[in-house]
Amino acid sequence: MKSYFASYHTTHGAAPIESTVLVLDKNLSIGFRNPDGSNVMLNWLLKDVDVSFDFPTQHTKLRHTQQPGGELLIKGNDAANFVKEMQAEQKKAWHQKSSGKEWIRNSLLFLGILGILFLLYLLIVPWLSQKLASKVSIKTEKQLGDAVYDALGLAGQEDAAKTYVLNEFFAAMEVPTAYNIQITVVNDDVVNAFALPGGRIVVYTALLKEITSYPELAALLSHEFTHINNKHSTKRIFRQLGSKVFLGLLFGRFGTVTSVVVNHADNLKSLTYSRSLEKEADQDGLAILTKRGIDPKGFTDLFNHLKEAAPVNSMPEFLGSHPDVDKRIAYIQETSQNATVKEDVQLKAIFEKLK
Amino acid sequence: MLITTTSAVDGRPVQEYLGVINAQSIIGANIFKDIFAGLRDVFGGRSKTYEKVLEQAKEDALRELTQKAQALGANGILGVDLDFETVGSGSSMLMVIATGTAVRL
Repeated sequence: MKSYFASYHTTHGAAPIESTVLVLDKNLSIGFRNPDGSNVMLNWLLKDVDVSFDFPTQHTKLRHTQQPGGELLIKGNDAANFVKEMQAEQKKAWHQKSSGKEWIRNSLLFLGILGILFLLYLLIVPWLSQKLASKVSIKTEKQLGDAVYDALGLAGQEDAAKTYVLNEFFAAMEVPTAYNIQITVVNDDVVNAFALPGGRIVVYTALLKEITSYPELAALLSHEFTHINNKHSTKRIFRQLGSKVFLGLLFGRFGTVTSVVVNHADNLKSLTYSRSLEKEADQDGLAILTKRGIDPKGFTDLFNHLKEAAPVNSMPEFLGSHPDVDKRIAYIQETSQNATVKEDVQLKAIFEKLK
Repeated sequence: MLITTTSAVDGRPVQEYLGVINAQSIIGANIFKDIFAGLRDVFGGRSKTYEKVLEQAKEDALRELTQKAQALGANGILGVDLDFETVGSGSSMLMVIATGTAVRL
């Protein structure tokens, strides 16, 4: 926008009235005061304005093409140049009313950018996080696991005798690993077991009571062992960190509503990942069993016992951190069809000590 | 239209004071500008994207101020003052307030 002082002539040759002229994007706004003291505002569209520069008098002359008579005189050629510039600008393509085609193109472009961002979130960020997670040393993982174990406050509730037997059992399974696996049995009535990064496996006595055969115990330990050996916890930490940072960069500046929606969507996404890790633990655990000739039925027995322990599982699968028990049983049965089974006297003997 | 930050104009005495006028412009930078500005924040340097937004907000506020002055029959605005603020949750929007006194010189 530019503003000028001008003299307005109601007709050519009439007495000049001192006025102000604003050259806006699409129009001229002319303001002046009538001799009787009232304010007058005129609005001329730029496309209706005829511009000329009168060289002898060094004045810019503006006239309305549709309403003959009125005439503006502005000193100097700056106004002439500027009005012409604005008129040319208005004729450019993007100032014209955009057609339907352009709308489609623009929305496609927008969707494309959204798609790329979504792809980044779905593929690149997880991939990068995995890469970083695999760089974490066992020592760091152990420190992390120990810190979590201390924070859980389980020390003092351990069942020393059962802990010894379970460690003996796992050693007898002879699973090759770089980790120092340390199993702890804790007195509690929760039917659960979990693995911490760096090599700790915690089994609750209530779950141990449910286990009736040595293949079942082997299944449980090999499942938890896979979580450690495949760095599942570390991967999950990095993955969540990665997606939180990425989403924070994109949506961080938005209000509470957006952040709640985005966080929930992200949580559902990470549950999917959690389920995929559980499946991986089941399958790699199964591989350990079949390699050793232990009955894969241990897994299905374990799942059935878990199902009995938590019978009212009405939650749909997509809200759970673990796959649906029936599905787990199904894919274990499918992959273990041709497994050769032989009785392992040594493991059985150690297992008997638990009873 | 004469727009100045001073309270008087040399050689042109004020004939009539038409009152205090103000205009504001609040502009949100879009999500992509926010991302680029965020990167600038990390790596350092001038953020042209935000500077452009601020410049546009200032232009808009001054244009509105001038139009208001013209509607009052003024041909000058004295003592113009520009205030810059951030508003919105997370200070994501920029606000420019232009204030001045409309006069006839």
